[in-house]
Amino acid sequence: MATELATLGAGLAIGLAGLGAGLGLGIATKGLMEGIARQPEASGKLVGFFIIGAALAEACGIYGLLIAFMLIGK
Amino acid sequence: MGEHWVGYIGSFHVHFDTLLTMWCAMAFVLLAAFILTRKLEIIPSKMQAAAESIIKFFLGNLAEIKNGEKHIPIVASLFLFILVANLMGQLPLRLIQLKQGEVASPTNDINMTAAMAVIVLIYYLYQGFKAKGIKYIYHGLSITGIITTLVDLLEMITRPLSLAVRLFANILAGEILVSVMLGISAIAAPIPVMFFEIFVAFLQAFVFMMLTIAYILTSVSEEH
Repeated sequence: MATELATLGAGLAIGLAGLGAGLGLGIATKGLMEGIARQPEASGKLVGFFIIGAALAEACGIYGLLIAFMLIGK
Repeated sequence: MGEHWVGYIGSFHVHFDTLLTMWCAMAFVLLAAFILTRKLEIIPSKMQAAAESIIKFFLGNLAEIKNGEKHIPIVASLFLFILVANLMGQLPLRLIQLKQGEVASPTNDINMTAAMAVIVLIYYLYQGFKAKGIKYIYHGLSITGIITTLVDLLEMITRPLSLAVRLFANILAGEILVSVMLGISAIAAPIPVMFFEIFVAFLQAFVFMMLTIAYILTSVSEEH
């Protein structure tokens, strides 16, 4: 029983973490597109900040992945 | 994955595999720095030009801070060490058998990344107190001042925690992902993931450095 619940928890962990990280990445990309459309000459600088923000958002998804693997690996 | 060669020195718990790979990464960075800075001249040779372009990269990132070039030692050594340590994980070092654990990237150990995060915390606190004195933490005896002080104290915990866990989790999850892809097909499946891990190695080293710079910037710059 405990193993089934752990598997369910792993699925929930990666699903919810992926949901949040995906939403964050989508919002960041939207902001980048709007910024470039408004001011195309600033795109180089904007992409640099976008990469950092995307990495920060993605890290939250990675936390969920880590928890999922820990739950399955028990 | 995630298991370490545990040993004891006195009463201390030591992960020998992390120690070994950490010294390898440190030796590589030190050796590269030593070789690249031999025979410095006005008209740079190829190696000196490469070293200068690396330093210019850090100078460009530190441009926002006043007297930013004095922070180059910690920022550059953090970036170069984390980069070499992350990239080591993609070498076929797992062929070397250890008693326990494996020879992989040293940043897949939370103790390693936590130590670096604590160093960053001590450094930016020191810079903040040097720049502003007691006003760095004391904002007056009003309600907003006390709340700001409490938030500052909370940030002393959350900032190193997020720095340490982000780097550790990204590297460890990358290694686990490669091993999962190995389970699907040993021939070709892990290759795209391993290329992505090379990108992640650069990205995480860069993010660690940029966050360090941002923390130093907020602690030394004057509030408006």
